[in-house]
Order: sequence, then structure tokens, then C-alpha cells
Amino acid sequence: MKYCIKYLYALGIFGCFSVSLFAQGPPITSDKPIMLGGGSFTAKTLIEHRKTAMGTFKYTPIMLHYLISSNALVAIHIPKVSYELADGTSGQSLADVKLLAKYQFLRIDGTGKTFRMVAKTLQTLPTGEALGVMELSSGLYQGYYGFVAGYESLKYGISFELGLNHIPEGDLDFLQHKLGFGLPLLKPQYPNRQINLFFEYTQQWLWEQKGYQLLYAQGIQYARKNITFDLAYQLPMINDMPQNMTFNRSLFLGTRFTF
Amino acid sequence: MLGSSLAFAQKSMDDFQVQVDGLGCPFCAYGLEKKFKEFKGIKGVQIDIETGDFSFQYPSEKSLSLTAVVQQVEKAGYTPMKTVITRANGLVETDAPLAAVDQGVAGVVSKKMFVAGNCEMCEARILKATSRLQGVAAAAWDAKTKMLDISYDAAALDLASISKAIAASGHDTKDHKASENTYDGLPMCCKYERIEDK
Repeated sequence: MKYCIKYLYALGIFGCFSVSLFAQGPPITSDKPIMLGGGSFTAKTLIEHRKTAMGTFKYTPIMLHYLISSNALVAIHIPKVSYELADGTSGQSLADVKLLAKYQFLRIDGTGKTFRMVAKTLQTLPTGEALGVMELSSGLYQGYYGFVAGYESLKYGISFELGLNHIPEGDLDFLQHKLGFGLPLLKPQYPNRQINLFFEYTQQWLWEQKGYQLLYAQGIQYARKNITFDLAYQLPMINDMPQNMTFNRSLFLGTRFTF
Repeated sequence: MLGSSLAFAQKSMDDFQVQVDGLGCPFCAYGLEKKFKEFKGIKGVQIDIETGDFSFQYPSEKSLSLTAVVQQVEKAGYTPMKTVITRANGLVETDAPLAAVDQGVAGVVSKKMFVAGNCEMCEARILKATSRLQGVAAAAWDAKTKMLDISYDAAALDLASISKAIAASGHDTKDHKASENTYDGLPMCCKYERIEDK
């Protein structure tokens, strides 16, 4: 109940910004169900500078997404991580390589609006060091299974994700929920020229660790025809995690290019 | 519509107008344009994301079919609602009800006719045969139902002449059959099941 009230309070912050604004582009820390035409590639990166109770981490992924068709996508994420732990240890290495697949199973289109849903799986391969940092480098195989739903209109966009992350050999299984709102500051136009604001919430329940966190990311995006530049700052709103896993903040800097 | 068709008589490009649903943001429009760039020679792409109006020009000698346009919109991940093609010779093809296209044009009537055929190549051949006839305002053929929707100036043309012209191109109608020689000359994919003699 306590979490619900805080979550609703957090949503209220979004409401304060949502008056008199127009439409959006792809979200920054959340996922999207819309696929931009079969047979196309998107190269992207989203550098994360994360500070936790364990130390400071810089995560630099190179991501290549390929749309097999208008409703199926596969992707590979090859990340590098550099770290400075609280005990003075530091280093850099290849982090956990990730394989992503998405399949769109529902599409409802209208004039200037669309609602879509995709099934999603993210397979994390144990290629990284065992740093024990969620989603960055665990050195453990992980399987994430979920779905993403999204509504986009020329006035606003909403994305929703629910999924389960399972780690067969660890105790870091978690249930994840993401909710994102996108609002453009400029009138929708094509060719695209946009400045978009994003309000993104991530909730994670780690039942084996008896942990819960609610993170809020405020993002801004500059978008041209087929390229975006993204900046987001993520802070914990609820941080009820085991002591060594406490999240302090993350800064995201990214770009994506579709060709 | 017939009057406006004549204005395009000397052009070498066909004009395409498609009403597309599902363009929820400018990036969606990019996905649509990118998919259509696979049609080499496409020009003048314009997308109004607020109305979903998508238009472009394409060389008329390539005879890009209405079915191919609709399929390409679907491959891009969006929903085509209405497609109107104005060919360089003035013929209008559409998947919208022809009665709406003909509205307000005196003497133009819309009729439906069964025309045997299988594929996109058949569609192009059937529509080419109709486009050569003086007085045809608009035509559309559906490969699934095998029905040709045609609008024409009743003072200049009749249904029997249209049927005869289509049969001469290699496609059987209920009233006129293609000759054996013409049928045999069709590509394999176009070898439709022939209409039995009455």
C-alpha cells in the first residue's frame, strides 16, 4: 500500500508536465512496441553512468537491431563495463552480451494513432565479470520474458512493460514493470524535427532478496528524420533494497540511427 | 474525374495517394518512407502525419500495381485505408468505392464485371487493357474476388467493348474468352482456370 501511494504520487509529477504538449519519439529507458518497417536496421548506444552502494559503473553497449519483418525484431547488445568498486577495486571488461527478440501480436491503427503489443525475450549470456550489478554485468545466464504495450498518438505516447527476469544459478530473479510517457515540445511534422520529454518509471521486485525499487527517469530527446540523441537522469523514488544493492543514480547518454 | 484525368495525359509518372492509418509519430512516417524507397525511381514522397495522407510519383512504364502499394504499406507495419492511383494516361485506379470517385461527373457509370486472373501481373495486364479504351475513368481489379470495378463514360463506351478488350489481352470474362494463342502466351503465374464455354 505504501508503495502504491508513492507510485501514484510519482505519476502526479508527470501530470504536472503533461498540459498543452504534443507527440513523441521512441522512449529512452523503457521499450517500445512499434517497429519501423521490415528489413531495416537500427544501430544504437545508451551509455549509462551508474552509482550504487557497491561503486561506480560506466556501461557502454553497442546495439544492433534488425527488423526481420514489420512485426518481428532480433537484436544483439555487446556492452563494455568499467567500474570502481567501493573497496578500491577497479577495472574494465566485456559485460554480459544480450540477445533480444520481439514479436508484435496485436496492432490497432487509427488516423494519427496506434496501439500495439509485443512479446519480448532478452537472453543475457554470461560473458561479463561477476560484478553482481543488475542488468550490467553478473557473469550469469539470465532469461527475461515479458510483453510491451504502447499507445502513440500525435498528442502523447504511453509505453507499458511487464516481465520476469529469471537467473537459474542465482538469487536475483525479479519482476519488472515499466511505464513511460512521451511528450513532444514541437508540433508533429515530417521530415521529423522534435524535442521530446520523457517521464519513465521502472519498478523491480526481487522476491528472493526481499528487495523493491522504484526508479524515475527524466529524459529529453532531440530527434531528426532517422536519428535521435537521448539524455536521461534516473533517481530512486523508493529504494528498499539489500544494502550492497542500493541504487543511487544513473545518467544516460545515447543515440540511435535507423538505416 | 474524367476531366481531371485528361489533364495528366502527357505525364510520364503515375501519381499515388494512400490514406495510411497507424502513423502515431514522425518516426512512423520515416518507417513508411524507407519501405517505399525500395521502389527504385520513387519521387516526390510527401507524408502528412496528422491526416495520414501519403503521396508519391512513380515512373508509369513500371506499372506499379495497386496491390503492390497496399502490400508495401502493410510490410512497413501500417494499415492502408484507401489508395488512389492516377496513371500518366489519365486512368484512375482505386480500392475505394468507384461511386465516390465518380460523384458529380455527368455520364460516367460504374459497373462490376468478372474477369479471370490470378496475380499482380494479371492485375497490371487487365488494367492496361482498360486504360487503352477511350472513355474509361477509373478501374480496379481484385485478385481475390476476380471482380473488376470500372467507371466509364457511357456515351463513349459500353460494357461489351470493355469485355472484348480484356479478353484480347488474355483474360476470360463471362461474355468473351481469350484466344488459345493469347492464353498460352501468358506467364506461368498467370495461367488461371479458364471459364467453361456456355
